[in-house]
Amino acid sequence: MKRLLYFLKKSFDVFDKAMKEDSTSFIRKQLEEEENIFALITMGIFSGIPSPPTGIVLRILPHMSREISIMIKRSANLDDVFGEIMGTFNVD
Amino acid sequence: MSSLIVLIGAAFYIVSYFTYGKSLERNVVRADGSTPTPAIRLRDNVDYLPAHKFVLFGHHFASIAGAGPIVGPAIAVVWGWFPALLWVWFGNLFIGSIHDYLSLMASVRYDGKSIQYVSGKLMGESSKYIFEVYVYFTLILVVAAFMGVFGALASKSPAILTASTLFMVAALIEGQLLYKTKLPFWLSSAIGVALTILSIVVGFLWPFINVPSLNTLYWLQFIYIIFAATLPVWFLLQPRDYLNSYILWGGVIIATIAAVIAFRGFSWPAYTGFSAKVISGQPSPFWPTVPLVIACGALSGFHSIVGSGTTSKQLDNELSGLFVGYGAMFMEGMLSTIVITSIGAFGLVVFQGFADKIAAAGFDLAKMSSDATYFGQVGAAVINSKDVGIGGALGIFTKSFGQLLNVIGVPVKLGITLGGLWASAFILTTLDTTNRLARYAFQELVEPIKKVSKGLHGFLTDRWVASILAAAFGFFLIAKGGNAYTALWAGFAGANQLLASIAMLTAATWVKNVQKASTGMLAAVLIPAFFLWITVFSALIWFLVKVVPATTPVLQVILGGFVVIMLVLDVFLVINFFKNYNQGKKATAKA
Amino acid sequence: MNVYYFLGKGGVGKTTVSAAWSVGLAKKGLKTLVASIDPAHNLGDAFATPISDRIMHINAHLDAVEVNIEEMIRAYLNELSTKMKNTYRYLSAMNIDRYFDILKNSPGIEEYATMEAIKRLIALRDYDAVVFDTPPTGMTIRVLAMPPVSLVWTEQLIKMRKRILSTRGMVERVQGKFEAEVDGEKVVLSSSEKEDPIMQELLSYREELRALRDMLSSDYSYVNIVTMAEDLALFETKRIIKLLDGFKIKVRNIFLNKFFEIKNPPDEIKGKIEEQEKVIEKMKTEIKGIEIKDIPLLRKSPRGIDELFNIYSKYLA
Repeated sequence: MKRLLYFLKKSFDVFDKAMKEDSTSFIRKQLEEEENIFALITMGIFSGIPSPPTGIVLRILPHMSREISIMIKRSANLDDVFGEIMGTFNVD
Repeated sequence: MSSLIVLIGAAFYIVSYFTYGKSLERNVVRADGSTPTPAIRLRDNVDYLPAHKFVLFGHHFASIAGAGPIVGPAIAVVWGWFPALLWVWFGNLFIGSIHDYLSLMASVRYDGKSIQYVSGKLMGESSKYIFEVYVYFTLILVVAAFMGVFGALASKSPAILTASTLFMVAALIEGQLLYKTKLPFWLSSAIGVALTILSIVVGFLWPFINVPSLNTLYWLQFIYIIFAATLPVWFLLQPRDYLNSYILWGGVIIATIAAVIAFRGFSWPAYTGFSAKVISGQPSPFWPTVPLVIACGALSGFHSIVGSGTTSKQLDNELSGLFVGYGAMFMEGMLSTIVITSIGAFGLVVFQGFADKIAAAGFDLAKMSSDATYFGQVGAAVINSKDVGIGGALGIFTKSFGQLLNVIGVPVKLGITLGGLWASAFILTTLDTTNRLARYAFQELVEPIKKVSKGLHGFLTDRWVASILAAAFGFFLIAKGGNAYTALWAGFAGANQLLASIAMLTAATWVKNVQKASTGMLAAVLIPAFFLWITVFSALIWFLVKVVPATTPVLQVILGGFVVIMLVLDVFLVINFFKNYNQGKKATAKA
Repeated sequence: MNVYYFLGKGGVGKTTVSAAWSVGLAKKGLKTLVASIDPAHNLGDAFATPISDRIMHINAHLDAVEVNIEEMIRAYLNELSTKMKNTYRYLSAMNIDRYFDILKNSPGIEEYATMEAIKRLIALRDYDAVVFDTPPTGMTIRVLAMPPVSLVWTEQLIKMRKRILSTRGMVERVQGKFEAEVDGEKVVLSSSEKEDPIMQELLSYREELRALRDMLSSDYSYVNIVTMAEDLALFETKRIIKLLDGFKIKVRNIFLNKFFEIKNPPDEIKGKIEEQEKVIEKMKTEIKGIEIKDIPLLRKSPRGIDELFNIYSKYLA
């Protein structure tokens, strides 16, 4: 009996987690895009696009580790943007 | 009979899974449980993160399931329930599920990159572009086809229209609850589900939104698309999509239970004729045209994109791939099986309910019941006739569905509303996402124009212009196309199957050049790939020659144009395939 | 405390004028600091004594310093580099030093450092007056423009960041606190402004910029232009005044330097003197509200405190 309850609880947790992810999938994608753009703009120095005055960049650079890693990851995936976008929105 | 079919279907799929499926896994994919998948190797907890295989199955299934597995079979039953069922079972087994599974696994072996990327690597860069063209056309056509199908349904069913509109409101509220308040998740979800049920019940009891005009419905959908696709995702799309999965699972469970308990014989003809008038009122030879009718449920190119888009990045173990990719496709086959069962058992009951209108419209209902060939000639006309008022393919489905649920005690009209909301919820969500995708695909496609005219390019790629263009295209096709949704559906399905063709050919190339499978297993992939290619190619030629000329001038030009372009590209594709195939071109799959 | 800025092209006599000014103020009993923030330092020459990058006494009321901007930049980047090496562990594998080499030459770093120098010196509360001998005009304009320009960028970034935090908030409401793995470490990504280090930096930097901007436009900032009586110089002077006005910075005095005061000019320079007259006429009519003072071309460049005071009392006061 106890095992059944445990199994049910585990299943419910899995279900709960899945549903939570389900209900935020698009939003999380959007978040990543926003963070990526923020990173690109503030780190424009390194990629040759117009960037904020150096002062601003230098101030926030120490806190941008996550943004930098997102930017690097996104650049690596630039050869398959089609796949990313198409896979996010589902058509059927 | 109904229960029998459902159980046989289930058995068929289960046995196939463990025999054919496992064989594919062992000998073709050579799934290795000890090789880390991209979800583990490239884990970043945003795109790449391993998901529990049941969860991934649920996600993947919810992504590939939509209105497709419902609409297709509902049109195809005019051939009789038996041929439709055959395609859903065997088309799925020999082509569809292999297509889904291999696309998924090929993607997994390429770091979770899309099947488009893989096809570029294995079959040359031009196939990437061809892919995009197909996708864009598919997106336009699916908008037109869905607008038509929904219009046909909603114009005859205020209950369903009311429920759909209320459901949209429910989704808006759910969005606020979930993302803007601190309510616990389970509570917001429960409220959302409750509101959904409420929409169905209210639609059933007080169908106050009544729009019988098809044209008005098209306009409404057009405006809806433009707005919905420009709203931030959290506002409507995300909560809608979320609630849709509850509707899906609820619907599937209820339908399965009802179908199994029903023990109802099939009054619907088993076989009405090889060339029953299925597509656009034209005699449609079952081969090669059935893929133009039943897409999802048996085979759908879009699944390869879904599978290689997100699913492949979340696969926790190569051995889970079979369950997720292959299994989910089988599940969709089951869904279509239930749709066919529902119509098979209760379709004629529905017709009986419309006996007067059918007679008034000049059809002989008694003859339909006794003469299968006659049925094949007029069945589609009866279903689509505005005077009879059944409401098209979704109409016959929802009304049969209502009868089916009645078996377990649900009032018929309530069951109809539930079935209707199920289909329309997915349709309306698809219209939204399709527009967003079409915007993006369009920008990719017109890239070459930049060299010719920067101004024109700038105009075309403006967010609003691209969005309105995509929606307008679809709207135009259905509104000025004579409401020929079966023709448009066939066009969509054709484009979809061409996508499947590329994916299958890519998979075949992968299997031969990279996996180096044995000849036997290679045949298992190659033969379906070619069968598919030949079938779809012939079907589209048939379509071009028989269906398009009989439509309105607008459709002749646009739809015909699309088909011609797709056929030409298809030839290039196959030439490309042979070039890369015979060169034994080995593309390194990243380990 | 009053702050005096002396702008001008290279060779126009900025250093002399600013040095003389500082001497004059000191003589009046005001505790004065004269600072050169021009990379091409001439202050030491003007005072005929070597001046270092450490503040030193010239006399009882006058201190002087030649700020080493390059050294400031280097030290600052080093500090940043060390800070970064601790936060971005995996990036250090990517050789962060390379990136800092780029930063050394990035657009705006000199302006930023110069502004920092100005800020720091003004913050030394023990002076009644600070006099700045500035870099050539172009650079100084960019330095003075830095606060308003940076403010525009900062506002945009703050807006962007708010959006990110809002989106994070939505996810948080469903899935709870956002945890990301950065660099092998679990980091909680916050959705509240108070807990987001980047937002806090942006907000505090905005405050600093506003303060700087207000200081430069305030009544106790005196921006002066040192120029010459030539057509092109007049043109440029008007341009500078307009530019600075756009940033709400008022020009107080114009010093016309190296002015020909010759009783019987030889033919060779008669033309030049005519031009000079014309320019002065134009200046007096076209530039309103700004005091114009003439400093004649001297027989030899002033050197040392006494000669500088001479200049002050005769022409600047």
